[in-house]
Amino acid sequence: MEARSKHKWGMVVDLDRCTGCEACVVACHAENNISTVGEEEAARGRAKHWMRVERYYEGEFPDVKVKFVPVFCQQCDAAPCEPVCPTYASYHTEEGLNGQVYNRCIGTRYCANACPYTVRFFNFFNPVWEKPLHLQLNPDVSVREVGVMEKCTFCVQRIKAAEIQAEAEKRELKDGEFQTACAQSCPTKALVFGDLNDPESEVSRLTASNRGNKLLEDLGTLPSVTYLQRDSWHDGKKS
Amino acid sequence: MLKAIYGLYPDPDSAQRAVDALRDAGIEPRDLAIMSSEPFEEYEFGRIDHRTPMPWLAVLGGLLGGVTGFMLSSLTQKLYPLPTGGMPIMPFWSNGIVTYELTMLGAILATLLTLLSTTRLPDWRGRLYDPEISEGRILVGVVNPAEESRVKVERRLREAGALQVKDFDPASNAGLNPETEGRSS
Amino acid sequence: MEKSPKQITDDLLRPLFQTSTRFFVAVALLGALVLAAFAAFFYQAYTGIGVAGIRWPVFWGFYITNFVFWIGISHAGTLISAILRLANATWRRPVTRCAEVITVFALSIGALFPVIHLGRPWLAFWLIPYPSERTIWPNFRSPLVWDFFAINTYLIGSVAFLTLPIIPDWATVRDKAEGWRKRIYTILALGWRGTPKQWHRLESAMHIMAIAIIPVAVSVHSIVSWDFAMANVPMWHSTIFAPYFVAGAIFSGIAGLIIAMAFLRKFLHLEEYLRPIHFENLGKLLLMMSLLWVYFVFSERLTTWYGNKPSEMAVFWSTQSGTYAPLFWTMVFCNFLLPFPILAIKRLRTITGTVIASLGVVVGMWLERFLIIVPSLARKFLPYSWGSYSPTWVEITITVGTFAGMALLYLLFSKAVPIISIWELKVGQHKVSEAPAPSSAAGSSLGAASGHGQLATDG
Repeated sequence: MEARSKHKWGMVVDLDRCTGCEACVVACHAENNISTVGEEEAARGRAKHWMRVERYYEGEFPDVKVKFVPVFCQQCDAAPCEPVCPTYASYHTEEGLNGQVYNRCIGTRYCANACPYTVRFFNFFNPVWEKPLHLQLNPDVSVREVGVMEKCTFCVQRIKAAEIQAEAEKRELKDGEFQTACAQSCPTKALVFGDLNDPESEVSRLTASNRGNKLLEDLGTLPSVTYLQRDSWHDGKKS
Repeated sequence: MLKAIYGLYPDPDSAQRAVDALRDAGIEPRDLAIMSSEPFEEYEFGRIDHRTPMPWLAVLGGLLGGVTGFMLSSLTQKLYPLPTGGMPIMPFWSNGIVTYELTMLGAILATLLTLLSTTRLPDWRGRLYDPEISEGRILVGVVNPAEESRVKVERRLREAGALQVKDFDPASNAGLNPETEGRSS
Repeated sequence: MEKSPKQITDDLLRPLFQTSTRFFVAVALLGALVLAAFAAFFYQAYTGIGVAGIRWPVFWGFYITNFVFWIGISHAGTLISAILRLANATWRRPVTRCAEVITVFALSIGALFPVIHLGRPWLAFWLIPYPSERTIWPNFRSPLVWDFFAINTYLIGSVAFLTLPIIPDWATVRDKAEGWRKRIYTILALGWRGTPKQWHRLESAMHIMAIAIIPVAVSVHSIVSWDFAMANVPMWHSTIFAPYFVAGAIFSGIAGLIIAMAFLRKFLHLEEYLRPIHFENLGKLLLMMSLLWVYFVFSERLTTWYGNKPSEMAVFWSTQSGTYAPLFWTMVFCNFLLPFPILAIKRLRTITGTVIASLGVVVGMWLERFLIIVPSLARKFLPYSWGSYSPTWVEITITVGTFAGMALLYLLFSKAVPIISIWELKVGQHKVSEAPAPSSAAGSSLGAASGHGQLATDG
């Protein structure tokens, strides 16, 4: 997979920096035309947070520890969501992304079941933006209709726009030239996005860090996202 | 106009006697007509015309189906190669399943088609038949009997134990449109 | 016990020619439930699938439960007709068509659910492999596409398996009917006359189909089980799924068959044809399948418990003692604790007994499908993504509607086609009387010598 394509997009999440502010969640909604579903539907489990911040607590008050884990599509190299889609709506792109083609999706929701990270979301109804909120929609991103699966795309519209720009200007893409919306909005720079095929990029450097591990690594999904954390979660030792 | 003379028999033993008697009288096998409302495999008359290539055609249908399944899955995957989940573009395991299903479908359809064509169904033209068959009678008769042997045939039919001996009446048969010309059954 | 061919024909054709008021009332009631289900589906397709209870992370619920359940019920016909036919078990004769009808209708209903559960059902035809203008074909790596091929193959095979032996019976009806009925049945009978050649070809075809349909049936439910087993979800990704589901399907299929036969026996007055021995024999098979089911469930749960994987144990405990425990233990009661004593004790293995056991099994197997799907999806790997599921009126209406639809289709079928195969029954009778007997030509000594059992088992 790596030899063929020019870029392989990846991300790093530094759990030691994440404050759980959820600016990334909001930015993702804004960038990707994700509708809010309302209080009632959210209570029924229909919210579509492509980027979500999971909170885990350990211990009893006052010795409580909280961990914030931003979870989003891991763009797995051996994605379990891809082979199960009957219409090729979920497939692997040449740049290492898990592509979701809304037009092919007929809504069997098999991919969502197969995803071990449960990062896929479904449009249970047609999304609604009450006027004048429809003016905030991003023209670069399609609006998904009812019955279609959606998930984090690593802001593929920004990737494509940057690639087209670079090609028009006959130059290479520079690291940090563009960001995903979540990485752009993170106040502590906990989220880093870049090209894993570029050995000089920040994301490549951080991926090699000895603080790094992958989420649910033993499942063999080969995710493109590395999580950094210094402390072991349970033994409380500081190294 | 289809001409026939036949007898209706109450049980397979008498029907077998009738068939034997007719054969002795020199009636050609293709002019013999036998009909019943259930198969009588234990009797000789129930076993005529047994040879059929049906099993072989089913196998052939299966092979064709299998090739179709294999080509459908493999060639279409090559046509528009979309990698999914790190699997090969043409995975043997999953293509094998589709191949298998279409093999079985091919065998089933081949059997069906062979059945319909060898029994010459559907055939709604007027053919030799008598509704009494549904009451459990067995029909044994001769199609297009030569005039001079008619009397002999009739006698033999009666001797074998026919409940009735009739001339074929096209108006009473089960077809929608009685044909004016018929062949032996 | 022996009936004359004429008597058999008259008895079995009576439902076609006589209709009671009860029939029309039943059709009206069932029809209303089916219409309600249709209305619920169109409401769902129009408004959005959100009107159903599915949600993040339990994306499959009642609809897929029903899908697997009905495909499971459809294995009744295959077992009875094909396996017993190949094993030369002659007691099957009155029962084959009842069973084959269940297969065709249950399969048709089951095949509706993959369309009902889609987010965009109007695009369901994209599963069909045709050269589309989008230059794309279905993904043959997906178990859902395998489902498409398997279910269609099985459906075509079952319809053929059902309708081919009906042709001679339609010929019988044609001969006895009058007026508009005669015209319809003349067309349906395809001009069948019953020559030895036709009979032999028909029986050859049935034989080949019996051999072909058994592996197809096994593959169908294996493939349906692989909808789950292919996904890496705790307690789904298990190699036991294919045989487990096939055994469960045959189990629920026999139960469905017993219930259908009991209804037919009562309402069509077929007491002389569907006799206690048939229910006894099917009851014994049901007992065997119940034990097999327990074996599979125990194997799976033992392996899970012993392996102690945290992700799997979350699902395990939720069914054993957690949220889903009431449903789980009800299922164990319905599938084993209730049927086992009824079917194992000869005195209790009466028609009523087997029907009670079968009703329990049908409920239990529906619960089993539900408990395979929902608890696993509700307890996936990341604890933050744990959830729950409860159905809405839309799903319940559609579920009830499919049960009503099955009953309705069965009712209408038994009105148009003799529900017991007339010619096969006659063959069974004359095979008994022609069996070699030392002195008597009619075989009555054979009957006397072996008593009630022999003639009864030959149907």
